[in-house]
Amino acid sequence: MSGFGQDAPRGAGGAEGIRDEGAVPPSGGPDGPGMPAGAEAWDARSAEWAAGTGEAGAPSAPASQAPVASVVTGAPREPVAPVSPASGPLAVDPQPRSGRSAGPRRGAADPVKALLHRHRELCERAVDPLEIAAGLEAHGVTDRTAARFRHRDVFSLAEELYARVPRDGAPVPQPHPVSAPRPRSGWIPLTLLPGALGAAVVTGLRLTHGRPRQLVVLGGLLAVAFAVRAALRRGPLAPRHGTVPWRTASGTRAATLWLLGYAALGDGLVRAVVAGGPDALPDGTHDGSWPVTAALALALLLACAPAAWCAHLLTAGARRRLAGSRGLRDFTAAARPLLLGTVALFLAALTALLALCGAVLHENAAFPQGLTLGALLLLARLLAAHQHRHAPAVALGAAAAAEAMGPALLLAGRLPGCAVLASPVQALLDAWSPAALPALACGTAALALLVHTLRTLTRASAHAPPGTPE
Amino acid sequence: MRIGLVTESGYPYVSGDAGLWCDRLVRGLPQHEFDLYALGGGRPQEDGGRVPLPEQVGRVRTAPLWTAPQRAAEDDGVAYGRRARRRFAEHYGELAGALCAGTTTGAGAADGSGNAFRGAFGDDPRDDLGDRSAAGSWTDALADRFASALYGLAELARDEGGLTGALRSEAAVRLLERACRAPGAPSTAREARVPDLLTVAAHLERALRPLSLDWYGDDDLGAADLCHATAGGPTALPGLLARHFCDVPLLVTEYGVQLRAHYLTLGPDAAAPAVRALLAAFHGRLATEVYRRAALLTPGNAHTRRWQERCGADRDRIRTVHPGLEAARFAEVGEAPDRADPHTLAWVGCVEPAKDLVSLLHAFAEVRKEVPKARLRIVGAPTGPEGEAYLGHCRVLAAQLFPDEAEGVHAVGENPVSFERIGGPEAPTLPEAYAAGAVVVLSSVVEGFPLTLVEAMLCGRATVSTDVGAVVEVIGGTGLVVPPRNPRALAEACVALLCDPERRERLGAAARARALELFTVEQNIAAFHGIYLEIVSHCPVRRFVLDEAGAPLPFAAPAETHVPLHWAGPGSRVLPRNPPGRPTAHAAAHPAPHQASEGAR
Repeated sequence: MSGFGQDAPRGAGGAEGIRDEGAVPPSGGPDGPGMPAGAEAWDARSAEWAAGTGEAGAPSAPASQAPVASVVTGAPREPVAPVSPASGPLAVDPQPRSGRSAGPRRGAADPVKALLHRHRELCERAVDPLEIAAGLEAHGVTDRTAARFRHRDVFSLAEELYARVPRDGAPVPQPHPVSAPRPRSGWIPLTLLPGALGAAVVTGLRLTHGRPRQLVVLGGLLAVAFAVRAALRRGPLAPRHGTVPWRTASGTRAATLWLLGYAALGDGLVRAVVAGGPDALPDGTHDGSWPVTAALALALLLACAPAAWCAHLLTAGARRRLAGSRGLRDFTAAARPLLLGTVALFLAALTALLALCGAVLHENAAFPQGLTLGALLLLARLLAAHQHRHAPAVALGAAAAAEAMGPALLLAGRLPGCAVLASPVQALLDAWSPAALPALACGTAALALLVHTLRTLTRASAHAPPGTPE
Repeated sequence: MRIGLVTESGYPYVSGDAGLWCDRLVRGLPQHEFDLYALGGGRPQEDGGRVPLPEQVGRVRTAPLWTAPQRAAEDDGVAYGRRARRRFAEHYGELAGALCAGTTTGAGAADGSGNAFRGAFGDDPRDDLGDRSAAGSWTDALADRFASALYGLAELARDEGGLTGALRSEAAVRLLERACRAPGAPSTAREARVPDLLTVAAHLERALRPLSLDWYGDDDLGAADLCHATAGGPTALPGLLARHFCDVPLLVTEYGVQLRAHYLTLGPDAAAPAVRALLAAFHGRLATEVYRRAALLTPGNAHTRRWQERCGADRDRIRTVHPGLEAARFAEVGEAPDRADPHTLAWVGCVEPAKDLVSLLHAFAEVRKEVPKARLRIVGAPTGPEGEAYLGHCRVLAAQLFPDEAEGVHAVGENPVSFERIGGPEAPTLPEAYAAGAVVVLSSVVEGFPLTLVEAMLCGRATVSTDVGAVVEVIGGTGLVVPPRNPRALAEACVALLCDPERRERLGAAARARALELFTVEQNIAAFHGIYLEIVSHCPVRRFVLDEAGAPLPFAAPAETHVPLHWAGPGSRVLPRNPPGRPTAHAAAHPAPHQASEGAR
């Protein structure tokens, strides 16, 4: 009822206003914003009610509002005795003041000061007067209360409070200290699962022959596929917001599968093609007519765990730098070494794994193609996890296509009159080894993705915390 | 008349919050056509199903905005071309600049300090009116800047498609940063760190999602004669845009101030000062824009009205429309003579700390000194875990304050304070819960529009309530009002009523009469009916139909198209001719109107 506050005499003289403010609220009209100030007053008035005065003509209609209300909030007041302190929500400290003829008062000269003291935290932390107004109203301050402070409404009272609260440019404490996300341990075993299953399959390959081996290969591949899927669905490698649309994901998935398949079988295929083959399907051994490089595949499966850890480190580090940096430029500058360090860490882990697998399986540790492929997959996954799906899809597709070109061109060269098609691949094979083909394809793609990653994942918006304040 | 009703938190769904009021409004005005545009909700709500809609509802369009997961495809930022990106940067930069221009803080502080001195020395209060008008032109310029940026973004979204990706992009964050670091930005904004900027960008993206909707075509909101938004703030954005694009007048109903709710939600503990400053600026400017552009505003109570006026609403365009309650439920109790135990006080409501039951218990202790036979019945269920804890606390306090007492040596004792729930044996229905008390007490410290008080009034009870929220506005003079957090005053008032049955009866009858006049569903609907007609008569939508060559076709949109389809009465078998160009025309022409409208949905 904004009208109430406006009716109150704000322009009352200073001394009179102060005297008003003490015991008798400054109320104006018949339904003025008076407050029962204490027990005695109410006793007196309730005696009056008992006598039935003041509401003699109150039949039953809304027209009778005014008389009843006047009884409630009491307009014609008898002089009241000094009242006991702290009866209302805004009671001011009792402070008997000598030298005044009207007796002890419970209010200081500046009632707003007490209010300010009571709501100090609200006032200090408010960003504008309206916030103080909302907070005051939530604490039960109404326009009628504001009238006691000689303000027309809560808004102007809030403006005074906002203006009067000291606002020294002291650094405001951060409301929520940013903490690194705790690694929820659910994903850690999942990242180890593909490596463990891969090791089991390789062992099975080594130990079995004939039909059981085919079963082992089939079952093992299925199990590994599910394990990888599970590892990528949870934890730091998972896409952060929502699910991936199926069509976007399927292209990337096909390219990834091709790259992995080529890593295991591609070198053998190229060698077999060069030698005039292939004459038979791969038999799962390292020394057959179509050899399988199991060490590389196993190392990549084992690298799921370091990849997840690296992604986690990147997320945590980015969040820390996000909290610590003052501007977007600062963040980009700080995030770049973090990203490079993460990739380097992963490559180091992968190198170790490749060496280990090569030693255990007595195979050639395929460093060039292994490292490039690992880097490519990691970067693609990091980008996908941060909602950039276009670039990884392109890079993976290009690498897969380049790899497919190798054997395809070699085979096409066998056609009559097309020998020229095979010559670039042949030159490559002559200069280096069959490993150069995937290493070149994946390396170029990984380099391109790295450049892209350094541009996109060093932006602050890529690491925006999910969710909004409300 | 065709009304586009923009609802928040899903009216047509079973689980919608504001559903009851919207449903009553739509059902109460069968002479108008309603198109429902529902914001918010999301999958859980849609799974819950819709309420059965009356036949005057033409179409229902929903946008699960606030909870929608991000569209992944838009996130790469590849959706926009260079020109679109430049347009986006221009408008978003302008928006951010309007947020950081910092007049609210600066002018408010200057104004406030002036007030402080005047308040202290009792100067002429009219002085600050001059300050306000001087600051007014600047405020207007700022509001225009915000509005042009907002509409610029909306036009971009209409031309180029969804804004989501762009609003979350690095470019947006960079523009925000630049605006915050610009000279003249308030100091709180200048302190914004990178996480703050990201939070603000995410929040803005969420709040501006209505810009990306495809509701503003000529056969959606553009075809309506009136757009009625059932809440302010971002919910009124579709209405604003319909007004901007198609000149559809906007009516905004606010039962709670969105801006105030925003302040309370985003308190000091929820976010950093910079975030709060920027978002407060955004919501403040948005509220101002909504209030400036709305043809009429209908706040639910005077408190909301004050906030609207404060945020720049024109007093002439505000009509307070009180929410209505169904009076029929309470008719039996209200008309019947008072059969309650004359010593019983009743409190009815949801138990939560804001209701200050502790104060009520202390007051009751005082009451019992005067009226030893008094009893207190607290009827209500706790809300949430906080309410549970508070209820437990109150039970313990009641047990401590009042020992069990019995009639004689051989009777089983009973506590004078009883805690009950609706549906229990003592209070099977809500009206009976009120009827059981000779006096109904409301002891809240914080209250919006006190529905329980209105219910008590409809039941013809004498009431004692605390002076909070819209209580005084509701009760008028028909009950006693005491200051909040003042148990002694509360006790005095209760004793006064308990000791005076005649006065109780008089006040109860007056309260019931007042509530029946002011707070019924019928008055609510009648008020909206009048307001609809007023708006349409003042701001009719003029539509020009163009032919293929672009020349206006005279008489292509004749006046008859405005005639509601079932003007001959819903039960009539006389089939009206199909007016041209109305998508729902076949619905009414169908022999079975109800099924037809189902199909049209």
